[in-house]
Amino acid sequence: MTRYLARRLAFAAFLVFAVSSASLILTRLGEGDYVSGSLGIEARRETAAQARARYGLDKSIGEQYRTWLGRAVRFDFGNSLLYDRPVRDLVPERAANTAILAASALAIATLVGLPLGVVAGSRRGVVSGAIRSTSIVVLSLPPLLTSLVLVFVAARTGWFPIAGIRSAAVAPGGETLDFLHHLILPACALALPLAAVFERLQAQSMGEVIGEPFVLAALARGVTRRRIVWRDALKPALRPVTAIYGLVIGTLLSGSFAVEVTTSWPGLGNLMLDALRARDVYLVAGCAGAGAVFLACGTLVSDVALAMVDPRARE
Amino acid sequence: MIAAKKLADVPRPLHRIARLSKFACKIAWYGRVARFFKGSDSWPEGQLLTGHLRDLWTLGRLAALLCLASACGRATPPPPARTSSSSAIHAGGELVVSVRTEPRSFNRLAARDSPSDLVATLTQARLVRINKKTQDVEPWLAERWTASEDGRRVTLSLRQGVTFSDGHPFTADDVLFTFEAAYDSRVASVLADSLQVGGRKLEIAAPDPHTIAITFPTPFAPGVRLLDNVPILPRHKLEPALRNGTFASAWGLSTPPSEIVGLGPFVLAEYQPGQRLVFVRNPRYWRTAPDGTKLPYLDRVIVDVVSDQNAELLRLAAGQLDVTNGEMPSESYATVKRAADGGRVKIFDLGVAMEADSLWFNLKPGAFATDPRARWLQRDELRRAISMAVDRQAFADTVFLGAGEPVYGPETPANQKWYWTGTPKTPHDPAGAKALLATIGLTDHDGDGLLEYATGAPARFSILTQKGRPRLERGAAVVRDELKKIGVTVDVVAFDGAALFDRIGSAKYDAIYFRASRTDTDPAITPDFWFSSGTAHLWNIAEPKPATDWEARIDELMTRQVASLDEAERKRLFDEVQRIFIEHAPVLYFAAPRVIVATSSRVVNATPAVTLSPLMWSPDTLAVVH
Repeated sequence: MTRYLARRLAFAAFLVFAVSSASLILTRLGEGDYVSGSLGIEARRETAAQARARYGLDKSIGEQYRTWLGRAVRFDFGNSLLYDRPVRDLVPERAANTAILAASALAIATLVGLPLGVVAGSRRGVVSGAIRSTSIVVLSLPPLLTSLVLVFVAARTGWFPIAGIRSAAVAPGGETLDFLHHLILPACALALPLAAVFERLQAQSMGEVIGEPFVLAALARGVTRRRIVWRDALKPALRPVTAIYGLVIGTLLSGSFAVEVTTSWPGLGNLMLDALRARDVYLVAGCAGAGAVFLACGTLVSDVALAMVDPRARE
Repeated sequence: MIAAKKLADVPRPLHRIARLSKFACKIAWYGRVARFFKGSDSWPEGQLLTGHLRDLWTLGRLAALLCLASACGRATPPPPARTSSSSAIHAGGELVVSVRTEPRSFNRLAARDSPSDLVATLTQARLVRINKKTQDVEPWLAERWTASEDGRRVTLSLRQGVTFSDGHPFTADDVLFTFEAAYDSRVASVLADSLQVGGRKLEIAAPDPHTIAITFPTPFAPGVRLLDNVPILPRHKLEPALRNGTFASAWGLSTPPSEIVGLGPFVLAEYQPGQRLVFVRNPRYWRTAPDGTKLPYLDRVIVDVVSDQNAELLRLAAGQLDVTNGEMPSESYATVKRAADGGRVKIFDLGVAMEADSLWFNLKPGAFATDPRARWLQRDELRRAISMAVDRQAFADTVFLGAGEPVYGPETPANQKWYWTGTPKTPHDPAGAKALLATIGLTDHDGDGLLEYATGAPARFSILTQKGRPRLERGAAVVRDELKKIGVTVDVVAFDGAALFDRIGSAKYDAIYFRASRTDTDPAITPDFWFSSGTAHLWNIAEPKPATDWEARIDELMTRQVASLDEAERKRLFDEVQRIFIEHAPVLYFAAPRVIVATSSRVVNATPAVTLSPLMWSPDTLAVVH
């Protein structure tokens, strides 16, 4: 298991390194750079040349990459050209916001999707049909559209703040509630499609499990349906969802980008968008690296969980 | 949505009925759910193929419930506030402004993006200010000035008793420091180029602590107008950074707010990365209102970062936002109009914009040396034909969704002082355009409806535009469609900003459709556009010498225009420049948008103006009903 874990960790490290390196190189390879975007078309050539020299953009891609790599191994990912702050400070503070959003969405999706999946998978009729149909509708909506709909509802009803992470004026002691109030809308936008995925998987799996002989045997012994569903059948039916749980963490990050922009959630998605627009090479590499960390962690958790359940996966 | 609105507007008893019916539905729903949980018909078999019709019915009920809930739960709209015309101005209160992105820096000399400019407008002050409403120069930190007869030297008397927000007195030394920083090559300031006349720096001297003498390299008619965009920075705070070469990164976003001092109406109190900036009144601000009230009126300005335009508009309509920092796009007008009809928002139609989106061709000599299209792509006739082929009214209606006006030259009627009233109105004449194209060899040789050159090569070129700007993309698409009608094939390609600017700078394009904004209405302030040697001479940047006779003529006229101290003569010369410009059409203009801005109904004393920041250009006089 230790060797397996080490192998997976090495792969995760390689993933982060490859993604951030590729991001830096690709951003640099594109036409235009931070200086041409920030100074605009009217800048004099000398002014632009001075700015490029200041930001190190006058170096070749190879030289810039080597310099960046040399510093990155010491966990110095350079300074953001856009915000003139170290990337290693900027990215974690935004990644934390994204992590909170993703974790909340995951929790909501789990709490909503799994029970509904169990119900839909163990019953037939109006309730399971309604759940199934709703899931299919929600599943077909991308998080961007869900967030737009929710933002619209929030604007019409005034139930939730439309944008941001906390209010400008909060009474002392009310910070947490205010934060949660802001969190609900983006978290739901992100969670709804995911809940639908969980519901579909869980329902399918539950449907298969309750057809197993041990369920019939239990029924024959007079065990109640509720007990069978929620105690005996649920555990084996959870396997498919558990298997994709890790991957979901990674995909949540990419899904959260659109939601963050729509709801002005100051997370990694908004930061990445700003960095890409401005051609801030170091910040793009940092954000992409952080995204890769999310994905790597998710994959690692998933792999380890799978390896613990099924030892054949370690080979 | 209309139904929802109506429901929200109904009297309270009906709300109660709606709530009761919702509650009743809930009870019924819970009952059904409970029943179905109690037993099923065919346990434990498959459950995926039955009950579909019932599912749809249930879904429908769910949707209806949601709609009802949405309509019933709608926040009570705030009562319509008094309008600016009828309200007395009360000091105090806070204003919430939105920006699309964070500022790049708190140092205006290091960043030129609009949020950074807004921060500078709130926290800093200039020697003189251009009143964006009247376009006149107003005394600001300099309370008066005199110009020498040759127009080369201006002496400014600085306001006395003014202090920075930290209490440090403001003197001429701070002005000297600001210009030193702006011109320092290590800083590579974004303002450095705009503070040059004829490509040379101004000479700044301080004969005494309250006087500044500015010497222009050549006679310069606009004089102090050039100083409008230079915030005066505190030497006592920033000098160490300039001396040790770190000025460009000084006052970055990680700087503690208390370190940022200025002469503006507000001071930065809080910066929440990615979220908002909070500014509070500068108690040492030096301006007072005509009635003696100490300015600014507002206690706080909150600048929220709202990255999505839809969210921004919804917040404005919902009363969670007072002002957006910029013009309202045409496509948002309907949403805001509905809010205005409900009394929650005020709309200001400021008339046609100062600048129109423009189309220009690559006129750099030799740019198409190996390209057979060189024979026609750089010809005046092509551009004149395009000007005739495009129906400007239809263009305005399509691109600006009706909120635009046809434009025929480099200046729009909004620039009242410099607009040439004799600007000829090019008629929409597709047949005339085809005839004109025939004179440069572009005719339909094979009868397929498309024009070709004599060699059989099709009349085809590409227009590059900026990605993510719907208005530009729509405009380029309309040009493409209009030219298709006369047989010219156009490919529209959208690039992101940096790539587009790179293409323009390196002259690697056929044609560009873009909005190149100018910093001032006076043409002498934007010489880089008019002079052939200019860096914003879009169609052929920084020519070593004028490539054409007409460009040489414009250079000559503009040289006289910039130097002349006779305003009538300057106007006459610039009219002539516009005449030549329109005749050769190096840049084509089709329509300009009407500038429409909106504020929440509680904003009073707003003086909206046709500028890049239509409402926030004068933050110290803005007030709110509170």
